[in-house]
Amino acid sequence: MPTQNLVETHNLTKQYDKIRCVKAVDMQVPPGSIYGFLGPNGAGKSTTLKMILGLAKPTEGSITLFGMPVHEKKRMKLLAQTGSLIESPSYYGHLTGEENLRIIQTLKGCSEKDIDEVLKIVRLYDARGKLANHYSLGMKQRLGLAAALLGFPKLLILDEPTNGLDPAGIQEMRELICTLPSKYGMTVIVSSHLLSEIDQMADHVGIIRKGELVYQDTLESLHSHAKEQIALRVSHTAIALDLLRQDGIEAVQEADYLLLPMVGDAYVANLCKRLVAHHISLYRVEKREKSLEDIFLSLTGKESSL
Amino acid sequence: MNTLRMEFQKIKRKKIALTICALVSVQFAWLLWSGSRPDEDARLQGWIETLYSLPLMNVIMMPTIMSVLASRLADVEHKGNTYKLLNTLRRPGALYHAKVICGLLFILAVCAAQFIFVIALGYTRGYAGHPEWKYYAAAFVLNLACCLSLYLLQLLLSMLFFNQMIPLVAGLGGSMLGLILMYVKMYSFLPWGGFLSAAQARMDWNPDTRIIRFYYRAYSPVELCAVFMIFVWIVVFYTAGRILFSRKEV
Repeated sequence: MPTQNLVETHNLTKQYDKIRCVKAVDMQVPPGSIYGFLGPNGAGKSTTLKMILGLAKPTEGSITLFGMPVHEKKRMKLLAQTGSLIESPSYYGHLTGEENLRIIQTLKGCSEKDIDEVLKIVRLYDARGKLANHYSLGMKQRLGLAAALLGFPKLLILDEPTNGLDPAGIQEMRELICTLPSKYGMTVIVSSHLLSEIDQMADHVGIIRKGELVYQDTLESLHSHAKEQIALRVSHTAIALDLLRQDGIEAVQEADYLLLPMVGDAYVANLCKRLVAHHISLYRVEKREKSLEDIFLSLTGKESSL
Repeated sequence: MNTLRMEFQKIKRKKIALTICALVSVQFAWLLWSGSRPDEDARLQGWIETLYSLPLMNVIMMPTIMSVLASRLADVEHKGNTYKLLNTLRRPGALYHAKVICGLLFILAVCAAQFIFVIALGYTRGYAGHPEWKYYAAAFVLNLACCLSLYLLQLLLSMLFFNQMIPLVAGLGGSMLGLILMYVKMYSFLPWGGFLSAAQARMDWNPDTRIIRFYYRAYSPVELCAVFMIFVWIVVFYTAGRILFSRKEV
């Protein structure tokens, strides 16, 4: 029996004025996963996450959380099991870190003990008495994460949580996010415009481009697309293609090159001999690797950040 | 109750009470200064004169005080970019309610302080008899209603604009408008003129004898409509604020 997804969207669409920012997104987030929501800036990641959290109303489509369709009446009940950090952290600068969390704890109705626990998790315990205005950007980001973690929700939605952090902070945040499913049984949706970041954190990935979900599967599956190929440049491409087909090799022509799947050295040597025997001049034999970056760029367009 | 408790937790160190106290003490200083040496006639009409001068003072100062109160309460959310977090924890309507009730409690304290002060002042100055309690009670309720209508309007503006200068300028503009309205008519359908409409005491000045006589007026149908309008504004501003708060996408 297939496991029920923790978050599902169907045909989720958002239109501002006449511009469709999110177009018929069908997102599926399995329980216990770290779902990397990847896409260039302005692709519609934040808008999609805001719609899931009920902060923006979908123009079309539906959302299912924990197997329950999200309606206005049920929204708060379902969101009670959710923690979120959208764009920049929300905090009251004139209050201390601890006082900020106390407000969230009051609203979430969770145990007071959770405050100390989440402060320790995000390593802000020693700075709990300091005014949030006096925190560094990284500390504010961690305070935002602590607020999201309060009550240890089943689902955590983090929108670009490493924004503004220094490399050490990014590493720290990444390590923390990676431990959440195993340690606390959480499902995490984390958005980013950085492929490398998602590659190091997520086990499932959804790639959004200009509001459309262009890829959604496991990260492993995305990696399997990152395959090596042999590229041949010859004088008579059509004859060479016939020869390869006779050998059962599925080659494709791309510009002046023939691209064939990775084959052994012996086959390449033999192929070169046969091409020459057929009076075909061999100009180039290259090994090509289609990296994860190439796949991401081909899915999202060249304008993406990596 | 949790949401209201949270509202008070949020304004810790914001010194809202202190700011309001400072503004209200200007009113108290004004009251102390005016009629500081009452003669026999002033003592006889003291209680009714207080009910005449209090609305005049409020029409000038309360729009500013209410704009400061609303701005301080709404600004904490703008500065901290907190709506997107709060709206995932509570219905926006409940958050709006908490802001309204929090503000109302401040208003209640301001109005109570004002009335306690003027009554204490009256006894200290030796006004004749006692305050006409039914008029004082009605004045208290109408004063509260006027303040609430202005607060709801200012809260709406403060939530709408990130830059709090806009609602504060609107508050100061309301005070100016109130001042102008005083010279036009002793009632107004505008929210800033509510204090004038609600005022029960009137003054009759005889230019020949140069004698001032205060009296309690009977509302004409138009004046009664103007008083009713105060409550209409409360409903209008409350509904508009709630709709704005609930439908606002963050």
